Amino acid sequence: MDPIFMWETFKVLLGGLPLTLNLAATSVLIGGVLGLLLALGALAGGRPARAFVAAYVFVFRGSPLLVQIFLIYYGLGQFRPALQAMGLWGILREPYWCAIIALSLNTAAYSSEILRGGFRAVTIQQIEAGRACGMSGLLLMRRIVMPIALRHALPAYGNEIILMVKATALASIITLMEVTGLAGKLIAETFRAVEVFVVAGAIYLSLNFALSWALSRLEHRLTPHLRPRPVPFAKVSPHA
Amino acid sequence: MPESSPAEDAVPVVALDNLHKSYGGLEVLKGISLSAKQGEVVSILGSSGSGKSTMLRCINMLEVPSGGTVSIAGEPIAMRRRGTGLEPADKRQLSRMRSEVGMVFQSFNLWSHMTILENVIEAPVHVQRRPRAECIEEARALLARVGLADKHDHYPGHLSGGQQQRAAIARALAQRPKVMLFDEPTSALDPELVGEVLRVMRSLAEEGRTMLVVTHEMAFARDVSSRVVFLHQGCIEEEGCPQEVFARPASQRLKQFLSGHQA
Repeated sequence: MDPIFMWETFKVLLGGLPLTLNLAATSVLIGGVLGLLLALGALAGGRPARAFVAAYVFVFRGSPLLVQIFLIYYGLGQFRPALQAMGLWGILREPYWCAIIALSLNTAAYSSEILRGGFRAVTIQQIEAGRACGMSGLLLMRRIVMPIALRHALPAYGNEIILMVKATALASIITLMEVTGLAGKLIAETFRAVEVFVVAGAIYLSLNFALSWALSRLEHRLTPHLRPRPVPFAKVSPHA
Repeated sequence: MPESSPAEDAVPVVALDNLHKSYGGLEVLKGISLSAKQGEVVSILGSSGSGKSTMLRCINMLEVPSGGTVSIAGEPIAMRRRGTGLEPADKRQLSRMRSEVGMVFQSFNLWSHMTILENVIEAPVHVQRRPRAECIEEARALLARVGLADKHDHYPGHLSGGQQQRAAIARALAQRPKVMLFDEPTSALDPELVGEVLRVMRSLAEEGRTMLVVTHEMAFARDVSSRVVFLHQGCIEEEGCPQEVFARPASQRLKQFLSGHQA
C-alpha cells in the first residue's frame, strides 16, 4: 500500500462523487414519487391498477438491476425511429438518462412496497377520528395518513436510500464516470486494483455513514411518541 | 313531523327520521326515529348487536344509512342515491356538519404522532380554520378542565387509558360542537379508570351540553340522562325518562336486559 498513490487516487475518485450523488439523489427522488403513486394504486386503485402494480413490482424486484440497466441502455436503441419521432431520442441515447431511468424504475418497485407497509400501519381508528371532526380526504391524507405512514416507513426507506447509493456503482458499466467508473479507469491505467478499490470502498463507506447518521437523527426527531417519556433533568439532579 | 312534542317547539339539535341501515341482506337499523333537544342527555342502551353503535355512527356519517334522514340543528344532511343505498351528496356540507358534532370513541382514537395539545387544536385550526393562538388558549383551558393541564406536551402513548379518553373528550369539545356523541366511552378502560371519565361526562351534562351516549354504565344512564332509549334488534323497544324506565320497564326484553346489568 502506497499512501501517496492512495491520496492521489482519492483526489481523482472524489471527482466522481458529484455524479454519484446526482445519480442517487435524482433516482431516489423520481423513484420515491413513482413508488408513492404505485403504493396508492395498490391500496386504493381498482383491480386493473392493483394487477399493474403487482406485475411491476414482480418484474423490477425480481430481476437484477444490472440486467435492467443493460436492457434500457441497449434495448431502447431498437426503438430509435419511434423515439426520434417523439423527440425523446436526444435524451434516451444519453447513458446518464438511461441510468436514471433504470435506477428510478427499480427503486420505485421497492419504495412502493415500503410505503404500502407504512400506509397499512395507519389504523382505521385514527382515520375515523379525522373523518369525524370534518376532515376532507385531502386534509386527512396530509395531516393524518401521510405523517403516520411516512414515520412508519422511514427505517426501511432509509435502508433503500443507502442501497441506491451503492447501486449507482452499476452505472459505470454504461460508461458513466462516477466514483466506480473513475476507479475502473484508474485501474486500467495503473494495474493497482486493490489500492484503488480500497479508496473507492472507503468513499462509499463514509458517504453511507453520513447518510445513516442523518437518517437516524431524522427518525429520532420524528418519533418522540415511540420512545418512553424522558425524565425531566431538573428532577433527577437537584443542584439548587 | 317525526315527533309531536307540544311543550317544546324548539328545533332539536339532532333528529333522526326513519333511519335504516343494512349490510348486504342484514338489516341492522329498522327505521329509527329519535331526536335530542338542546341540553338533553340521551343514553342509548341495548345488548351487543342491537344497532346502538351503528345508530350513533350514522349521525356523523361514519356509517352511511341506507335510508332515512339525519338532521343537525334542523339542517338535514343532504343524501343522494348510490346503487341500492345512499351517500352524502355534498362533501362541503358533510365536513361542516361533522365539525359541529363532537365524537368520543370507545378506543379513544387519538392521533399517535401528535402531542395531546396538537390533537386538541387539530380540528379547530385545520378544519374550522380558527386562529391558532386562540385555539391553543382554548385547548389549554379544555385540558385543564378534564384534569390534564400538565399533560399537554405528552403523546397519547404516554398516557393511561383514562387520561387518553379525557384528552379525546377535550379534543371533541375543542370543535365547539352542537352535540357530543359518546360511543361506549368507558368500555375499553380498566375498571379503576372508568370513574374519572364518567366524572368529566357528568360535568358536561351538568353544564347543559347536548349528549348522546351509548353506554353500559347503568348508574350513569339512570342518574345523568334526561332520557333513556333501549334498542333491540334495530328498533327502539322502549324510551322514556330514566326513573320510569329503570323502575317500571314495560317491555319484557328491557326487563331481562336490566336484570343482567345491575346499576
